[in-house]
Amino acid sequence: MVLVDLAASKALGSAAVLLFLTVLMLAAAKRMSTSIVAFALQSAVLAAQVLAVARIHGSTESYVIGALVILIKVLGIPYALFRLVDKLQAPHDVKLSLSPVYSVFITAGLIFLSFTAVHTYVQELRVSEDVLAAAVALILSGAFLMVSHGKALMQIIALLVLENGIFLAALITTFGMPMIIEIGVFFDLVMGVLLMGIFAFRIRDTFEHLDVSKLRRLRG
Amino acid sequence: MTTVAVNVLQYLLLVLGAPVLRALIARVKALIQRRQGSNLWRPYADLLKLFRKEDLVPPTSSPLFRFAPMMLTASTFVAAALVPTVYQSALLGFAGDFIVLVYVLALGRFFMGLGALDGSSSFAGMGASREAMISALAEAPLLLGLIAVAILARQGNIVEIVRWTLKQNFFDVSAVHAVAFAALAMVAIAETGRMPVDNPTTHLELTMIHEAMVLEYSGPSLALIEWTQAVKLNVVLSLLIGLFAPWGMATSLTFAGLALGLSAYLLKLVVLAIVIAVLESSIAKLRMYMVPEFLGIATALGALAVVFTALMRR
Repeated sequence: MVLVDLAASKALGSAAVLLFLTVLMLAAAKRMSTSIVAFALQSAVLAAQVLAVARIHGSTESYVIGALVILIKVLGIPYALFRLVDKLQAPHDVKLSLSPVYSVFITAGLIFLSFTAVHTYVQELRVSEDVLAAAVALILSGAFLMVSHGKALMQIIALLVLENGIFLAALITTFGMPMIIEIGVFFDLVMGVLLMGIFAFRIRDTFEHLDVSKLRRLRG
Repeated sequence: MTTVAVNVLQYLLLVLGAPVLRALIARVKALIQRRQGSNLWRPYADLLKLFRKEDLVPPTSSPLFRFAPMMLTASTFVAAALVPTVYQSALLGFAGDFIVLVYVLALGRFFMGLGALDGSSSFAGMGASREAMISALAEAPLLLGLIAVAILARQGNIVEIVRWTLKQNFFDVSAVHAVAFAALAMVAIAETGRMPVDNPTTHLELTMIHEAMVLEYSGPSLALIEWTQAVKLNVVLSLLIGLFAPWGMATSLTFAGLALGLSAYLLKLVVLAIVIAVLESSIAKLRMYMVPEFLGIATALGALAVVFTALMRR
């Protein structure tokens, strides 16, 4: 039990490191499956952090939310995305619009930026700088993934990464939001993935590809 | 006195035990492919056989051709003496820092490239130029990753860095360590000629890198090259273990401590060997033109690790 407490108190800080790695992995990924696995890993780290918070503060609500994160983000959504990739029968590459090297360099820059951005708030926080920086880095890199990838499916993942960042920021600044809000957010997320999945099918059926950059011609 | 004895013993373990590690990776790969695989002691029989054979030298080559494998072996064996494995010191631990390690390894590669060009086989020349390109690209991430760890430890000597890491708590792993490990692991794959960069078991000369370079060698020279390649893999893996997961390494010269250190070290090596075998079985070799991209990502990670050291100062 003492060991679990120690692990919980340390997990909050160390998990940020793993989040940075998943962000970099997403930036370098060239195949859809790699990106989905990276997202699932990222969500697993997030779940560990929620459970660590639950352990430290002894709140049952946080345990439930942690279980929900595992159920929806670690298992449910990646499974759905794998199904989607399968059903769409689209090519497996992610249509990165710049070379992975630049992508990793830019993501590294974004991580650095997030560290400098959160620097002023560190004194008022009870957790270490890394975790808040990781939250900001997730938000920024989610946005970057969205603009750098041309494939509709990647934009779903990018949105999910962005949401992970917001979730983490909420978690470490409030140490658990009210249950009803969290459930609402999860419901939103599931609906969003569902809708975007349908959209991906429609895009594929109408244009016979999933390349978002080619949709510009739609302008009237 | 005992320290020197232990240092010599762990050095001999690193150098003489290296072929087993390679055989272990090959064995696990064979098991994954549902083959039986060869005996773990087979590499020693191979080496012995090669040492007994005649050394054939192309008629057009200069003495450099014979000299190159010896230079490669000497430099790699010196590099092996810089890395601590079981006990927290190394045979030549006093002699140099990580920069010495990097460039001693580079020296051997340089001579090997010269030897391959001297053999005047077209495939060997191609292999040499490819290997030169890869090692030039791998140098930056290797140095950057090591520099990041060295800055954290405020030490340049590898033995001192390992000692510093031993004192750290496992849970306090920083972003620097994680990112530097990712960079160095990618470099380790490229440096030792393993799967996504080079295929050590290939039969097609056009896809070879390291194997093409040694095509002209035979007999004792080939034995030296094969042995050195195994030692190099062992050195690089031991370096990764020492820098990023040295926990369990003996800190005192008691029998129990050394036994624990030895078993922890061997366990980590076996785990790494299995990881490499599984990785090699599950991914395809990169195209030659993708290798700069692969190492470019490693460079980006290495640069990020160095930048992180400035943020992590607490």
